[in-house]
Amino acid sequence: MLSRNVVSACRQRTRGCLHAPSRSLASIAEASSSAASSSSATKAVINAAVIVNRSPILTRTSSLFERAYYAYQSRIRRALFNPFPTEFYFKTGSLLEKKFAREEKLREKEAFGGPWSLKRSDRGSEDDGELGSIQVSPDQADNMGEEPIEPPASRIHEADKEGDVKSLDRLGERNLYLLIRGKDHLGKEVWRFPQGPLQDGEFLHQAALRDLQAEVGENMDIWVVGKKPIAVYQPSLPESTIKSLAGELYTFFLKAHILAGQARPSGKNVTDFAWLTKEEIEPRVEKDYWASVKDILSDH
Amino acid sequence: MKQSCKTVTLACVQQVFNAEFQNLFSTSAPTSVRLLAVLKARPAVIMSSSLLAVSKQKLALRVSQTSVRYIGRQESGGDPKNDIIRRALYPSNIRNRPSPVGSWRPDVGRRLQRAIPSVQAHETIERAWFLHQRHVRRARASELQRKFESVRNAMETLRLVAPDLYVEANKEEDPRARSPAETDLLKKLKGPEKKAVEARIRGLFPRELRTPTDTPPRNGWTYDFTPIVRPS
Repeated sequence: MLSRNVVSACRQRTRGCLHAPSRSLASIAEASSSAASSSSATKAVINAAVIVNRSPILTRTSSLFERAYYAYQSRIRRALFNPFPTEFYFKTGSLLEKKFAREEKLREKEAFGGPWSLKRSDRGSEDDGELGSIQVSPDQADNMGEEPIEPPASRIHEADKEGDVKSLDRLGERNLYLLIRGKDHLGKEVWRFPQGPLQDGEFLHQAALRDLQAEVGENMDIWVVGKKPIAVYQPSLPESTIKSLAGELYTFFLKAHILAGQARPSGKNVTDFAWLTKEEIEPRVEKDYWASVKDILSDH
Repeated sequence: MKQSCKTVTLACVQQVFNAEFQNLFSTSAPTSVRLLAVLKARPAVIMSSSLLAVSKQKLALRVSQTSVRYIGRQESGGDPKNDIIRRALYPSNIRNRPSPVGSWRPDVGRRLQRAIPSVQAHETIERAWFLHQRHVRRARASELQRKFESVRNAMETLRLVAPDLYVEANKEEDPRARSPAETDLLKKLKGPEKKAVEARIRGLFPRELRTPTDTPPRNGWTYDFTPIVRPS
């Protein structure tokens, strides 16, 4: 959707310039564009970079206010419920009915027994606190011959506790981005996104994938979202560098998702890598680089 | 069984109704037919035929409320399941107790009083919630706007700097199209490799893009991945 808007906007702008040369606005625009083209008479050197994103694995933790509100709403709902037709769903006097009655009592106690308990802040996955307290005890009478259910995996992984930035299990709720430590255009060792030059006749998305695999290895299942660049970084270079590079340097970033695998840097140009959130990237990266890239990273 | 009733009273209707039901459910029937019998034996249908006979008598000025009241728990005759199903499908409309249908709820006020602190408090909570939702919505919209501006700026720069790349970036991906390199590759591959290449359709979301869940997968992230060659 967004891409189509961008496309149509760009097309309309070009069409306006071409089809109405007699109008004053268009002539001014033409003059400015011609001026721009004459100033950048030298060829532009284009790099393709990839922002590899590991999407969130886990749903968001509700805030305290949200949990309180959901508990409040469930209490109102429970108060306004019509009586449940237990005789229709359960056979009178059966074990299942007793189990249901017990669970209902717990739920009633939870909803009305006291204020929503604050100690449930770490288990924020339950939205209304009703199901949180229901535990299937491994008693035989309770189970009624069913197999005991394995508890689900914890939301907090070992990588969270250790702070292992290379792990892809860390911070399941957040968006993680791949940052590597390598040489930038000036030859300095910096933290940056994987990037590389364009070969002849190559397009941006092809070059981006190739450069990514060259720098970080092929053991990742990468899906490049689209052909359009999402951000551009143009460092302010001194005249000498521009002449040596034979043009202004532009780095176009493309968005990609990692679906499986792990980064394995070759070690030649790339010394280190990390999967970081937006706040963790900011202190490690150069200021002007950050200014170009910060808008494209997700806050959550 | 049928007594001569001078007025159409509740007791009269009851008797008529009871009689009709007993006639219907005296014989035992197989399970599949049983349910059909329950559904077919609608109270209205039964009552109409017998009521006609009753109504021909002298009617009182005030007709007492016709209520649906079923036979109690006559388990001796039929299956109790029938009674239960009947009671669930055709609930009584006698207003003496709240029912699962919810047609009579005299205690709503009392129950609400127990649930909410006060009307003003409830309204304040609702307003706070809507305000919170508005903040969340605004933050999301502004983030999206920033991302869009970044994309637009990048595309504009690309247009000025490298028009041929810009044209290529603007081309819409056709999911059905296959490049000649892809068709050549597919001829060589077989089995799961071929499926892997075929499955990743250009311009569409991959299946492996996982929806966020409340708890992570038991085995965590798949770190072992063998690369698949896919010509773009």
